[in-house]
This record gives sequence, structure tokens and C-alpha cells, in this order.
Amino acid sequence: MDASLLQEPRSRTSRAAAIYDWVDDRLDLTGLMAHAREKTVPEHKHAFWYYWGGISLFFFMVQVLSGILLLVYYRPGAEAYESVRQITYDIQFGWLVRSAHSWSANLMVFAVFVHMFSVFFMRAYRKPREFGWWSGLALLGMTMVFGFSGYLLPMDDLAYFATKVGLEIPASIPLVGTVITNLVRGGSEITSTTTQRFFALHVVILPLLYLPFLAFHVWLVQKHGNAMPPGEEAKPVEERRTIRFFPDFFAKDLGMWLLSLNVLAILASLYPWQLGPQADELASAPVGIHPEWYFMSQFQVLKVFGRWFPGAFGEYLGIVVFTLGLVIWALIPFIDAKGRNGKWAKAALYIGLIAVFGMLATTIWGYWDL
Amino acid sequence: MNYPFWDVPYLSGGGVIGLIATYHLLIALFAVGGGLYLPLAERKALKEGRDDWFGVLKSHSKFFLILTAAFGTTSGVGIWFAIGLANPEATSTLIHNFVFGWAIEYVFFIVELTTAAIYYYTWDKIDPKLHLKIGYVYAASSWLTLVIINGILTFMLTPGSTWLSVAGSGNEASVFWYAFFNPTYFPSLVLRTLISWNLAGIWALVTASRLDGFRHGKLKHEIISWSAKWLIPGFVLVPFCFLWYLAMVPEAQRQLLDLGISTIGQGTFTQITRSALITVMTSATIIALVYFVAVRNSKSFGLGWAISLVLLAFAATASTEQAREMLRKPYVIGDFMYSNGVRKSEVEKYNAEGYLTHSSWAANSVKGFYSDSETIEAADLKKGELMFRGQCGACHTEKGYRAMNNLLKDRDETAIGNILQMLHENKDDSPYRKYMPPLVGKDDEIKALAAYLKQISVNASK
Repeated sequence: MDASLLQEPRSRTSRAAAIYDWVDDRLDLTGLMAHAREKTVPEHKHAFWYYWGGISLFFFMVQVLSGILLLVYYRPGAEAYESVRQITYDIQFGWLVRSAHSWSANLMVFAVFVHMFSVFFMRAYRKPREFGWWSGLALLGMTMVFGFSGYLLPMDDLAYFATKVGLEIPASIPLVGTVITNLVRGGSEITSTTTQRFFALHVVILPLLYLPFLAFHVWLVQKHGNAMPPGEEAKPVEERRTIRFFPDFFAKDLGMWLLSLNVLAILASLYPWQLGPQADELASAPVGIHPEWYFMSQFQVLKVFGRWFPGAFGEYLGIVVFTLGLVIWALIPFIDAKGRNGKWAKAALYIGLIAVFGMLATTIWGYWDL
Repeated sequence: MNYPFWDVPYLSGGGVIGLIATYHLLIALFAVGGGLYLPLAERKALKEGRDDWFGVLKSHSKFFLILTAAFGTTSGVGIWFAIGLANPEATSTLIHNFVFGWAIEYVFFIVELTTAAIYYYTWDKIDPKLHLKIGYVYAASSWLTLVIINGILTFMLTPGSTWLSVAGSGNEASVFWYAFFNPTYFPSLVLRTLISWNLAGIWALVTASRLDGFRHGKLKHEIISWSAKWLIPGFVLVPFCFLWYLAMVPEAQRQLLDLGISTIGQGTFTQITRSALITVMTSATIIALVYFVAVRNSKSFGLGWAISLVLLAFAATASTEQAREMLRKPYVIGDFMYSNGVRKSEVEKYNAEGYLTHSSWAANSVKGFYSDSETIEAADLKKGELMFRGQCGACHTEKGYRAMNNLLKDRDETAIGNILQMLHENKDDSPYRKYMPPLVGKDDEIKALAAYLKQISVNASK
């Protein structure tokens, strides 16, 4: 046999090695891998909650990919409804992409909320992770605006009326509320102009704002590592357990993504997202119209205050209570700054419990009250 | 003809059967596969002198006994309640044909339950070799329960030409064995046996996940790796067995699946294709997770992950059962009885003489409607409701599962009437023919149904 044939495999390996060396010289891949292997992740009975940030990120990536596909066929403006109708009924796989986009949006909001509360109860906002907490809150806010702006785009009657009542939330902000609302709406009513504005917000402005915050947030996680819950931190170092970040935690994180993909695929294919009749502003609103579930809590708070204190005062009061809650929530790293388990730590725990149960209760109340 | 007094809003009777049956299958097939897993694991431990394995096996057999003897048995009886209520006519046909089959089933069942209890309670109390033998008796008797029930389940999809030739004559019992060893019997038996081994592996991971991997890393890794191997035969052979199974299903009933496969490229999947694809996806995910998360990361493989695997197995089982049910459409017993309990042989009679007239649960009420109601329209609506309950309610709800308000939205009475007419005529080129029974009854009954459907779709959108 020709000797060069026998040598072929070896030369191929050495070529691959040469390419690796070339890249390694410039990007220090070996150092990066060594770092990934050295890095560890705490392992304890609450470790399940570590996955939720990754799950949120996964759904965000699905949003980007499916969103780009929808962008190809969606036409904001007068043809908005017709283009979504084509995506849903005429274009091959269109219904699946749209359904995946809508479902993963909802799953993402859910995952972000779970992530936020798990971070809260693990006290992962304490020093040095304050900026992680704040950037996370900013990302949550933007995620909700993403959801709100995307919901209108199909311009079916549910989207139209839900957006109409949803805009009552910003409109009730004292002084600037009306101005802001008219600005995003493009007038005093929701029209095809509104879809153009929401579209610009949804696919250009928000992504531009979101991505730097996301990069910052992920970089912080990388820098500070996973926070341990107080119970775990109290243990002596030799009793704490860890697993390697790479490949062990990494494999499990990918496994969690695979599970999330399964959940998404089952929901998107068995319960495809529906498209209602075209929005008709002259028609009466369907009974029990309400914003998406993740706005239900705020919606209900405003509604109830409006009922208890009729007129603008009630609305202002609702907004004030809400803003106050948000400010306290953002200031948690300062309120519970001492670390360990002092009285402020206990206060923070109560604040967290009030927030979880308050949101759940007002959301359920909201649906009850339709 | 069914006696449709069991109204399950949102879910439908069929939905209840589906939920109970999936839950039951997940445990019942574990009872079969796990029954073999335990003695084989015990044999391995005995042969290799691995005392550390015995503790794990003992706790696994306790989990096994509780799960199968309590939850498996009660859910099995639950299926009986549900099918008897939701589809009494089909249940009656099964009982008339297979009462002897169920008698045999109960014999094996009692042996199975008794040996499972003896097996658990005699750990360390009797000679290990005798203990192992009890395990084998359990394994054999639990597999034999599958051997029997499989005949009855597959009969519903493919009763076979011999049984169909005597169906309705009163001599069905004379062809018991033909009905039992029907065309899909053997592929289904092999399929279910393979799946029972998969489930044995998955459920064993639940017990293994409870071991502290930081203290007993080697033991945990060995148990997980050995359990994972139980998934291999299933995942290699199931695709081939599934093709064998499909080949035995009559062509006419395969149409729905064929349609679904031929339209995959355009992305407009039929429900059956969606279910089948979900089975493929969840099964592949199970394999990936078992390898990467359980075997490769056995030290930190925890209960949460094990439960996730069980839930994936639940999704895989549910979608497979759903696909199989869809394959049987429009029948509940292949080529003999439609999914709403109307026998194929009775269609002509009902069309000529009326459906409600021959429904003993409804005939008297209908007469009362026209004497008691103020208007004929009001009486028609009541009559239409009875038609809905009798012929649609087996699969559809007003709101919820396969909801009429969703399927009919925006259609006026004429459009609804046209659809009903198409269902009534049930011509060869009707798009509904592949999965829906013909609508039977006289014109006035069908008109009454159209009026009722219009009313519920209007009410629903309010």
C-alpha cells in the first residue's frame, strides 16, 4: 500500500492541531477551557433554582430566532392583520413558528419571574451582586414591554382590546401619563399607526436596549459565580459540595434547555396560538377583556383603587402604591445589606413573601373579577 | 347506542379516559418491566456478592410495591369506571366477548399482587435463592397480565375478519381466540414489552437518584448505568416494531396517518402526526438526558431530574396512546362500532327511522318537548341537544377539549347545516370520513342539531 495513504490520518490530526494552535495563540482557548474546568457550581438541595436564569435565556434565544422568521412576512400598518393571517394559514410552517414565538414569550416571562424570586429568596442580591439584581430588574421590565408590544401586532380583536385596556396602566401615571401613552400609541386611539410604532419598539428599540443589559447581566454571573443560599453558606467550607461547571453543570444546563424545548414544542404544536377576527374599533369590546396574565396584577390593583376612590385620585393612588412597591423592591440590596440573619434580613424575607403572595392573589382576583 | 348521561364539561369523557389510562399505563407497564428488573438485579448482586446493591434493591422493591399495588391497581379500576360511563356500548361489547379473558387476567393479577408482597416482605428472611424464585414468579405473572389485556386492547383496533363475520349474531364467543389473537396482537405485545423495560429503567432511576452520590459515588454510578441499559433494547427495536404494527392495521384506518406524513413538508400536520412527532421527540430527549445527565453526571443526579424523566415518559406514553386512538378513528371497535357507540350495521336503520326514536334514553323526552315547550324552535333546541349528547358528546365538548365553539366559530346555521349534511351523507370523498362517524338520523333531527350547535357557538362567544 502507498505509504502516503497510511500517513493521511496522522497528517489530518496534526493539521487540526495546527489550526487549534493558531487560534489558541491568538484567543487563548486553552486558558479559557482551564478556567471553565476550574470553575465550580454549588450543589445542594436548592440547586434546582440555578437553572431558571438559563431557562429564561433559552426562551429569549427562541424569541430571537422565531421573531426573525416572523419578521420576514409580517407587515405592520394597514396590512398587519392580513399578514398574520397569511403566516397562520397560508405560509408553510408559519403557524408553528408563530405559535412557538407566542408560547415561548409566555414561558420566558414565567421563567424570568421564577428566576427573580429564586434569586431573591437565595439572597443573591447581597454584596457583591447588587448590579446583577438591578440589571435583572431592568431586563424584567423590558421583557414585559416586549410582551406588551408584541401582543398588539396581529391586530385581531383580542389584541386590540387587550392593548386598549393595557394602555390604561401607563395612562394613569400622574402628569406625564397621557403624553407617554399618546406617544407610543401614535395618537389618542389605537390605529394601524400604533402597530408601526409598536413594531419599531418590538424589533429595533427594545433589542438595542436589551442586549447590552443582557450581556452585562451574564458577565456578572460569570464574574461572581452562583450565590449560595444562607443555609448553605453557614456550613463549614469542607462540608459544602460543588460540581464542576464544565462539563458537569454545563451538561445539566443543556439538559434543562432540552426539557424546555420539549415543553415548548408540546404546547406550540398541540395548542397552536389562535388568530381571532380582525380588530374593529367600532365593535363593542368582547366581555371580560383583560391584558395578558403578567399584567393582571397591576391591572387589578389599579382597577380596585379606581373603585374604592372614584376619579383620578384613585388611579394616582394606585400608581403611587405600585411605584412605591417597585422602589422598595429595587432597594432590597440596601435594606438587607448586612448579610447574615439580622432583623433586616427577616424584613426582606417578609417583603419577598408579600410580593409573591400579593402578586398571586391580585392576579387570581383579577381573573375572578372579570 | 350509548346512554350519554355522563357529561364532563371542558374535558369530555374521552379526555378523562385518556388521563386515567396514561397514568395507569405508566405504572402498569412498570409493574411488568420492573418485575423483571428486580430479580435480574438481585441475581447480579448475588452472583457478584454485591451486598451494597441489596439495600438499594430492597428500597426499590418497597417503592415498586406501593406504586403498583396501590396506584396501579386503583387506576386500573378507574379505567373500568370511566369507559363504562363514557362508552357503555363498546364496554358491553368487550364484556360479552372477553369475559373469559378477564377471568384469566384476574388469576394472573392475584398471583402478581401476592408475589409482589411476598417478595418485598421476605427480603433477608428466607433463603436468597427462594427469594429470587419468587421474583421470577412475579415477573412471569405480571407479563402474563399483559399477554391477556393486550388481546382485548388490540381487538378494539383490529377485531379481524373472522370476528367481524359473526359480529352481532350472538355467536361472537365461538371465535374468542380469533378475536384475541387479532392482526395487531403480536406487534403490540412486543412493543408493550419493550416499553415496559424502558419504564423499568426510568423508574429505577427514581430510586437511584435518592442515593447520596457524594458519599456512595461508585454504587450510585453502577446502579444508574445498569438501569440505563434497560432503555437500550426499546430504543433500538421500537421503531421497527412500530412499522410492523402499522403494517397490520387495515389500509383504510391508516389513511389519517398517511395524510399526516404526506403533509409534513408543508408543515400542516394532522393531529396524529403531531402526537407521533411528540413521541419521537420526548423519547429522544429521554435517551439524551439519561446518558448526559444521569450516567455521565451520576454523582449529582437528583430526584428532580428523575421526576423530569418520568414526566417525559408520561408525555411520550400519552402522545403514543393519543396517536393509537386517532388511528382507530372513526371507530371505537374497528369496522364495527363508531366512536359514538353507533354500530356500523345500524346506520341505515337510524337514517330511515330516526336516531332518537331508537334511543330508549331519549325517545320519551322528545315527545314531551313538543307538548310542553312554548315554541317549536324551543322544542327543536332541546331535541338538538339530545342529538349532540348522543352522537357528538363522546368526542366533543361545548367549550374545552375539541370544543364546538372553537370549531364552529363565525358559522351561521346554513354553514353548520352544510357540514352536518356532509357528515350525514359520509361520501367517499368527504374530508371528515377518515376520522368522524357518519351523522345518523332523519332530516328533522339533523336540523334540530344544527339549531342547537348554532346556539351553543353563539352562547360561547358571548
